[in-house]
Amino acid sequence: MDMRNKNFRQDNGTAYLLLAPIFILLTIFVVIPFVYALRVSFYDWSFYQDSVFVGFRNFRLVLTDDLFLESVWVGLKFALMVMPAMLVLSFLFANVIKRLGPRFSGFVKTSVYIPTIISGIVASVIFVFIFDYTGGLANYLIGLFGAEPKAWLADVATALPSVAAPAIWLGFGLTTLIMLAGLHDIPESYYEAADLEGAGTWTKMVHITIPLMRNVILYLLVTGFTAQISQFELSLVMTNGGPLSVTTTPNLYILNHFRNDVMVGNSIAASLLLFVVLGSISAIIFRILNSEKAVDG
Amino acid sequence: MLQQAKRSKRGTWTIASSSLLILSMVLTACGGSNGKNADPSPSGGSAPASPSASASASPSDSTPAEKVKIEFWAQKFEDTTDAWFKKWVAEFNKSQDRVEIKLTIVPGDAWDQKMKAAQAAGKAPEIRTINYGNVANAAKTGQIMALNDLMDPAAFDDLYDNIRDFVTVGDKYYAYPKLVEPSAVLYYRKDLFQEAGLDPEKPPTTWAELLDDAKKLTKKGVFGLATAQTAPDLGWSSWGMQYNAAGHLALTDDWSKADINNDAYKSVFEFYQNAYQSGAMPKQALAGYADIKPFGEGKVAMEVCGSWAIGQLRNTYKNMLDKVGVAPMVSIDGDQTKTTATLGGWTLAVDGKAQHPKEAASFISYLLAGDPAIMIDFFKTAQFSKFSPRKSVDEAMKSDPDASKDAWRAMIAEKVIPYAKAEPIYPWDISFALSTGIESAMKGTSVDKAIAKAEKDINDFIEKNKLAGTNPKA
Repeated sequence: MDMRNKNFRQDNGTAYLLLAPIFILLTIFVVIPFVYALRVSFYDWSFYQDSVFVGFRNFRLVLTDDLFLESVWVGLKFALMVMPAMLVLSFLFANVIKRLGPRFSGFVKTSVYIPTIISGIVASVIFVFIFDYTGGLANYLIGLFGAEPKAWLADVATALPSVAAPAIWLGFGLTTLIMLAGLHDIPESYYEAADLEGAGTWTKMVHITIPLMRNVILYLLVTGFTAQISQFELSLVMTNGGPLSVTTTPNLYILNHFRNDVMVGNSIAASLLLFVVLGSISAIIFRILNSEKAVDG
Repeated sequence: MLQQAKRSKRGTWTIASSSLLILSMVLTACGGSNGKNADPSPSGGSAPASPSASASASPSDSTPAEKVKIEFWAQKFEDTTDAWFKKWVAEFNKSQDRVEIKLTIVPGDAWDQKMKAAQAAGKAPEIRTINYGNVANAAKTGQIMALNDLMDPAAFDDLYDNIRDFVTVGDKYYAYPKLVEPSAVLYYRKDLFQEAGLDPEKPPTTWAELLDDAKKLTKKGVFGLATAQTAPDLGWSSWGMQYNAAGHLALTDDWSKADINNDAYKSVFEFYQNAYQSGAMPKQALAGYADIKPFGEGKVAMEVCGSWAIGQLRNTYKNMLDKVGVAPMVSIDGDQTKTTATLGGWTLAVDGKAQHPKEAASFISYLLAGDPAIMIDFFKTAQFSKFSPRKSVDEAMKSDPDASKDAWRAMIAEKVIPYAKAEPIYPWDISFALSTGIESAMKGTSVDKAIAKAEKDINDFIEKNKLAGTNPKA
């Protein structure tokens, strides 16, 4: 008994020691700033004069600002354009890579990963050139079919999809590799058994591949959705939020207010509200697609 | 501070500086608040600036007397301006042994992040650049210090009356002006005018003529007219036209409500709507308003741009110069004595929490309010695309052979600036709500609806932010 207690204590000490770095780092970089931000959001915060307590005023201003609500809607639309396209494309592509020979698949894997290491800013600049009105690749291509040049980034209808294109291109590589890892994780024996039963490709995909990929897809959905709604550098560089405000994502809205406002409380309140929005969306996704422990043994 | 960022959108480095913005944000996020001032170059763009500025003074000097070190942040402008800042900071540091100025050049798009982070940490630079539109609000919130007791009053007497007013709040001066530049001047191609059967010596003078000529000049590969067409650009570049048509800007003087539901503002909206929908303008901007690249590259026959474009044309598009005509921006009824442009420009100010206000102000006095030769050096490197707020500098420039021969400079100095007005000091949100209305009219909303929406948005903003009666200059 004594012995066990002593061991307990020793283990606890080591455990606390090992936990300490992350606990301290999280406290310094997450907990304290978060609590501080919460506090500041109730003030008219100025660096030069005494901050004035204003209660929920900052939150009320943000919530009654049509532009903020619009920007959340823009963020949702943006994520809804990017995520399905990216998931479907990378799922198909991962299946193709899985069937390739080892050498060629290594080459393809490296190639699809390249966009991931390109920064969003560089990608946006490249796509700004592609969507250029007079000399861009996009208008050159549609010109080959005799179409008039399109104002890709200035037309209310095409601006958001045009900004979504580089987002898909950027995220595609990593998503494909994660999908590929998920595919490799499914035991071959399941497919062999299905083959013996005479199942076709489609049946195998619907009944084996997709159910067993559930957790991978769930992970990609939650992280991807959050990341895409938070996206702002693409629209900052490519359209500056325009035309009108159709590409002003929530984070761009916050950045604009941060740069613009004399008092900082407003942008902090907006950030906290965005945090709530993102949290709720993640919760909804988890709710709809329950994560389950994989049933393979 | 889109207002502030806007001036920086010049040339090709807009995009480059955006990437610096992201980089600097990453750095600020990771680095917390440490070392923001100790290391003057976390945002890349300023890296080449600091060695030359600081190396010239510190190592050679081993005098025991402690020099007062003062941080000075200048926003990134044209390369020539950056070089001018570096040169004269070094000269100042050599000229005396009490004060040492440390210059950091901050890219325009990174400015606000960097400044806010420094202010929050209590490490804001003691001297900073600030544009006219921000002076009053910065003074009101205590971000900058009154200069009356820090500088020689005679320095302020040297300013033109209208420009002195730009830096005055109440009965105090809060900044010292460096330059003014009109926001709208008309650039046109004389050779294309001739081809289209128009008289190259008679540029359009009314709004209607401008639109008419623009249509005639449009042909395959060349658009007749380029001007602002996105809300962030329209927000400030249309101020001149608003003054021109209405004689006032979007708010009543006491800031209690929007003053745009009238025929004058309708004509402004209609002008932009007609220009865009006539096909004479590109459907998607070829470049930002402040950048005259499309004109320089021959893609447009007429472009509305600020006076700074003269510098860009003379430095970058030299082979185009003999085909270019410069004229005052058109007026609604052809009366060129009505305001057609607002005067933007930059000043230096002392931070509200500065530790060494006297020393900081002594540098401002030296650089901007001292020997006219220093400022003439600046206007020369800027190719006379910017204008002096000081009478004595203009006086001295009369005897300068380059300046006195420059016809474009003379035209702008005589025909644009005397009628130009100050930029508004009301919050940018107001200008932005209005320009969003203009853009939506260009994209097909009816003018009446667009104005009604803008009016409602502005009035909502006034009410929510309790703006009525807060005009610091009323």
